[in-house]
Amino acid sequence: MEPLLAIEDLRTYFINKDVQVRAVDGIDLTVYPRQIVCIVGESGCGKSMTSLSIMRLVPKPRGQIVSGKIKFAGKDLVQLTEQQMSDIRGNEISMIFQEPMTALNPVLRVGEQITEVLIRHRKIGKREAMKRAVEMLRVVGVPRADEIVSEYPHQLSGGMRQRVMIAMAMVCDPKLLIADEPTTALDVTVQAQVLELMKRMRDDFGTAIILITHDLGVVAEMADHVVVMYAGQVVESVGADELFAHPLHPYTKGLMASIPSLDDEAEKLYSIPGTVPDAREFPVGCRFADRCPLVQTSCRERPPELREIRPGHLVRCGLV
Amino acid sequence: MGAYILRRLLGMIPMLFAITVFVFLLMHAAPGNAIDGMLNPRIQNIDQLKQHLREINGLNKPLWQQYVIWLRNFVQGNWGYSFSQHVPVRDVIGPALVNTLLLAAMAEVFILIIGVPLGIYQSRNPYGGFDNTASVVNLILFSIPYYIVGIFAIYLLAIKLPIFPSQNAVGTGPDAGTLMDHIYHALLPALSVALTSSAVYSRYTRGSMLDVARRDFTRTAYAKGLREGEVFRKHVFRNGMIPIVTQFGFDIGGLIGGAVIVENLFAYQGMGYVTLQAATTQDYNVIMATTLLIAIGVLIGNLIADILYAVVDPRIRYD
Repeated sequence: MEPLLAIEDLRTYFINKDVQVRAVDGIDLTVYPRQIVCIVGESGCGKSMTSLSIMRLVPKPRGQIVSGKIKFAGKDLVQLTEQQMSDIRGNEISMIFQEPMTALNPVLRVGEQITEVLIRHRKIGKREAMKRAVEMLRVVGVPRADEIVSEYPHQLSGGMRQRVMIAMAMVCDPKLLIADEPTTALDVTVQAQVLELMKRMRDDFGTAIILITHDLGVVAEMADHVVVMYAGQVVESVGADELFAHPLHPYTKGLMASIPSLDDEAEKLYSIPGTVPDAREFPVGCRFADRCPLVQTSCRERPPELREIRPGHLVRCGLV
Repeated sequence: MGAYILRRLLGMIPMLFAITVFVFLLMHAAPGNAIDGMLNPRIQNIDQLKQHLREINGLNKPLWQQYVIWLRNFVQGNWGYSFSQHVPVRDVIGPALVNTLLLAAMAEVFILIIGVPLGIYQSRNPYGGFDNTASVVNLILFSIPYYIVGIFAIYLLAIKLPIFPSQNAVGTGPDAGTLMDHIYHALLPALSVALTSSAVYSRYTRGSMLDVARRDFTRTAYAKGLREGEVFRKHVFRNGMIPIVTQFGFDIGGLIGGAVIVENLFAYQGMGYVTLQAATTQDYNVIMATTLLIAIGVLIGNLIADILYAVVDPRIRYD
């Protein structure tokens, strides 16, 4: 099958005078139609910047896509003009964000925020757009949808706001939905509902989803394929079942060990020692070396390659 | 909203009452009195005359009685006579209030058409050549007190290039007293006030727009595929104007009483000018009336600011 999205050696840096922060440092990522790909990693590993790079919304002027290709539906998004890119955003690729509270405009009614996407991309009138907005709100499970359209975001609960965000993102029936930690700011019960909703969107509309999260519970729930990121790079890329059955990279194993379990006797939670290396000056060798329990001298000498250890299972570790 | 406005207006009454008590006491605590300044010191039997004048004006009564009498008369619409100008206080204040309102309105218009668009334009291309230049110029203008701007304005545009009058609120020619004549006389003082304030407003507007441009919902707007102009119009501008509009409301009140220096510089017969004159001659009745009107102006301005805030920001509701 043809991939929907294929990222090749993407590098997104923040450049400020002579300081270079390598937020995304050579990422490869493939998303097939209808697939849910989870990008996992701790804060600052570059997962959000990867998603913003796909949308070409990296904060200007310091953030720049330095090199690489983002192939989507036969085009390289990196090469598109701002004008061409804006035709794709919200239309073929949509994005929802972590904080539904701040991601919605506080002074515009919900209906207007949804209809403006339709009016922009579908060239339809206000009334028709409003009808579709109400329909879409019903689809995402917003009760009293015809009343909600004339309310303001602050009048809604967090879960409802995220549903509105999803309605807004899905209303033009995009091929790809990028969700950047969409449930982090929500209550646990609401989290499950929102995840369920996203799965339904995939099933009903055939939308592929890139789901960014640091929550392995979410990954287990949602993912078809998982990409583990560390310090701006992919360290492991594998199908979801295989990841939980046979995690190979020491970092992935560490993440797994950090999940608290109910029948665990241990009093203390496991955590990976140390912190992420400074993105201004990554070490020459393996970027995980300082925190790795299995580290060898050879690890620090040259950077490990991302290798296919088993069919469909890629790992960036010299010891595997 | 209606109930809220009514409640606020009623709430002003005790505030204004307190202000009049305070000003009344302050005025009488100052050395000298209104009568002393009125009389030629060489008049024979001046002490007797003073005593007589004090009695017919009720100034010999205890202070609290004087206040009660003043308040009763004021509420009944009798604002008393001006000691220094020998005409009813209303005849002094009426034209002054009109002059000041015109000056304030013109200054506000100048601020709005200079400061706000400049700030918006700067925010659209931040840290560029134009923005940096404008920021420096703003800083300089902001640092110059507006009476200095006024002096320069008089020197350049009234003396060197005699285009505008350097003083008075009305002219003497055949069209004296027309609206155009008033506007013509208010132009330089209004510009003097507005130039400094415009600098403040453009900085303020620029900062507010840039702040909103960094917010999450602006990113959402881009993520929806909206074009730069649409994002600015529908998302950045509408949110960025909230603090500006509110500030504007507050400034309405401030301008009604705050142009004292500029009005005196231009000998522009507005409220500030009249108040200062009355204060130097201890013209009690005039001071009481102007203070009260200025206080009402400030309070109404604050109310307008709060109402505007609710109008532009749906999160604010007063009920």
